[in-house]
Amino acid sequence: MNTAASPPHEGCMMFVQFPGALERTAIHRFVLGEDREPRALSAGEAAAELGDPFATLLLLKGIFPGTAGDVLDALRDATDPADSLRQTQFFLLGEGSQITLTPETAEVQRDLRFLVSCGGGPDGPDIILSAFHPEQSDVEVMAWDHDHGGFNYYRTVGNTRAWVFAGNARHALSDPTQGNGPFEAHHSGAFLMKELRAPWINWHSPDANIQPSVFAEDDALRTHEWFVNKAPLGAFTCETTVARPAITRWAKARLGAVAAGGTISDPARILRQVLESAAVNLVTSHTESANAPNVEAVDLPQTFFVDSEALTELLGLAAPAPINVPAAIYRQALETFGVTFTDGRSFTRPGDTHFAFCVPERAFEDQAVIAQAMRAGLLSDRLVAALLMTDFPNPIFSDRRAALLRYVPATATVVDRRSDFSETMANAILTAAEPTPEGSPEREFASLWSAGHQWRERFGELLSAYYAAVTTQVATQDGFDAFMRLAEARRDVVRPMPITESQMLFATTNIGQGRRRMRADATVEEV
Amino acid sequence: MPPLQRFSTPGNLREPTQADEDAWSKAVKAIIDQFATDEFPQFYDPTETETPHTATIAHIAWTAFPARLLPEATSEEQRWAQADGSRDEQDEYCEWSVERRDDGAIIRVTFTSEVREYWEHIASRDPDRIVELYRELVDASLTREDLFVDGRYVFDNEHNVLTEGRLAHLVQPNNNLGAAVDLAAKATILREKNGGPVTSKQALVQCAQLGNEFRNSDPQIAAAVNDAARSGNEITLGDPPGLYLDGISTAGMVTPDGTDPATFWTVERGDPGHTVRASFSVPEALGYVVGDINLGGRAIRFGAQLADRVSVRLDAVVKPADHQPTPRPCGAP
Repeated sequence: MNTAASPPHEGCMMFVQFPGALERTAIHRFVLGEDREPRALSAGEAAAELGDPFATLLLLKGIFPGTAGDVLDALRDATDPADSLRQTQFFLLGEGSQITLTPETAEVQRDLRFLVSCGGGPDGPDIILSAFHPEQSDVEVMAWDHDHGGFNYYRTVGNTRAWVFAGNARHALSDPTQGNGPFEAHHSGAFLMKELRAPWINWHSPDANIQPSVFAEDDALRTHEWFVNKAPLGAFTCETTVARPAITRWAKARLGAVAAGGTISDPARILRQVLESAAVNLVTSHTESANAPNVEAVDLPQTFFVDSEALTELLGLAAPAPINVPAAIYRQALETFGVTFTDGRSFTRPGDTHFAFCVPERAFEDQAVIAQAMRAGLLSDRLVAALLMTDFPNPIFSDRRAALLRYVPATATVVDRRSDFSETMANAILTAAEPTPEGSPEREFASLWSAGHQWRERFGELLSAYYAAVTTQVATQDGFDAFMRLAEARRDVVRPMPITESQMLFATTNIGQGRRRMRADATVEEV
Repeated sequence: MPPLQRFSTPGNLREPTQADEDAWSKAVKAIIDQFATDEFPQFYDPTETETPHTATIAHIAWTAFPARLLPEATSEEQRWAQADGSRDEQDEYCEWSVERRDDGAIIRVTFTSEVREYWEHIASRDPDRIVELYRELVDASLTREDLFVDGRYVFDNEHNVLTEGRLAHLVQPNNNLGAAVDLAAKATILREKNGGPVTSKQALVQCAQLGNEFRNSDPQIAAAVNDAARSGNEITLGDPPGLYLDGISTAGMVTPDGTDPATFWTVERGDPGHTVRASFSVPEALGYVVGDINLGGRAIRFGAQLADRVSVRLDAVVKPADHQPTPRPCGAP
């Protein structure tokens, strides 16, 4: 489920603008890549394929809710009072949610939308739904399939109010369905909360409340229970009780079979989540851009500079010192680069997004897969560290790291949580490295691998030198301007992604398009 | 609906006599009435002015971990250690202390949101009650001499400033009822800058000079109150006035035996909905301790890991009114 907003991406348009007529009282299957068009499932087909509570409690019993609110009503009617599915949590987000409602801003498209979770526990909710309005029929649902594992993705189609099964999370992992339909955004089939980390830009949260005044005085949503009863801690609660548990649940399900032992037929699918950045989360400074004139320095997210979530939190390598840009330098950069927050229509405000310096970071769904692959014994900590340290100043969108994918062995075997996979892959890269030119990714990996059992110390030295260079550069106008250009290059990679469904996801700048990468001395080069 | 008869005690804790209840109410009223003046026309004293049934409650919530530490945090362990290291760091109207086994494993974490004003009130009414409470909640061996100097209760006595063991009540300088009332009252004043409204949390706190804008609590209280005032409403604190622990989120916690970790949260003081003291510990019969629980892939080694998951709340009453407030510029009183 994508927590982004309109307009829908191309794949989603297939659902929104499907021209045909669908039966209001049938479950349709439209798994892009497998199905050419929505088709009604027979009762037997539906029962065999759908093992989630949204299907078993409602759809398979002929109950087809017409609106998002109807979904909750129907679930309540179908469950006992003690059923955890009756535990609902409401969340609210919107890229324009922090724009004060005034006569001048009344027409701004704030892209406000609700996320509702049903159920709870250590693995998170069983059902999650997303809708712009409780009374509208445009609804997306994902529900955990207890029979087959993974979330099943559903949505209504156009104005037909007909429900369509759009795929199971496993469809995200292989052709012909991967990358299609919901899996354009959900690359690995995981739940997606793109602003996963405090201060959760765009979400109602302790860091930025979405106040009642975001709605007009006569807007019924102002007093609607979904708004009034929204989770008080908002995004914090969503992150901790919905997103992280749900993402980890799927990663565990995927890697569970690996941990149990056996042969993995497509380890490259797992290594793609180590070496590529098909999915990203968004992270920002903790400082409101409106408050930047009042502070001495603006803190910058460390994951812009390094994959500290993996290197520090998972592998225990050196942590960066706080990275702060002097506020005067930040403000000058806003001016130099013409940074503007705009909806592209009626609203334009000089300056940055609500929280400053919104940039993509490595997705938690990838971090979760790395962690589970290590626990399963497939990946050694040394291999993960050496792979991630290759081109480490570029924690996402690294062509150099992605180049190592070609050395992933075709299969992997895990026995008693042990595998020779890591050694085999490392050896494949080492063998390939010799004939490659100086500075190749293979040679960089080989150099890192040569640290042997001293890899923690060696990698720590590399990181410490880099952190020192970052600290030096960020204190200069030229240095920070270069970081701004790099940030914009990364945003340009995200803009065509399905998660970008509002122009207000990022501020605009006058920085020209181009590929850029960070060097280990914390300078930025045009590629 | 007639005005409130009296302010209740935090968490509706029982007072020995009605005279004690009246004394506490009087103490709260003295705080409220500093601000229920013409200077703050949209802040009111509910014991003087009626609160109609149409009034609504704004539940303003945040997490106990001090957000002020986040911008400077270098790693999870660094920030947890820093927050655990000093009660002065714990400035979100919630403080905690940690009990450990000899091998360092955490066995219990105790959280409090009890304001010191209430304990000073008790001390002024009956010093022996303070001693009894400390013996019950902190250390059974404590005496009056440990807590009073020259007959005066020392709220930040050496037994109530520690981060280890069992704490009594809030001591961090910003964590008091007077500060919360001060903030709520001052936040009823609308602000403007360069001709536009100042509404976002940090910018509002800076503009109105309401403290540290990177805290979780105060800026959020200010922003919520300010938003309510913008519509012409009047505001006061919900009764009983105080800060409340709204529970702990145990999602992502894995216990060695599969027991639901939510059952390890024990409310020690406060009525349902108004918890002012709670602790997190594993029943001895289960044979393991808090330090054996995994949270988000790591063992619980810091009280702050739990503070990340503890919710703190203040209730503001929003009373419909038709004020037409004029925004004041930043820095103006």
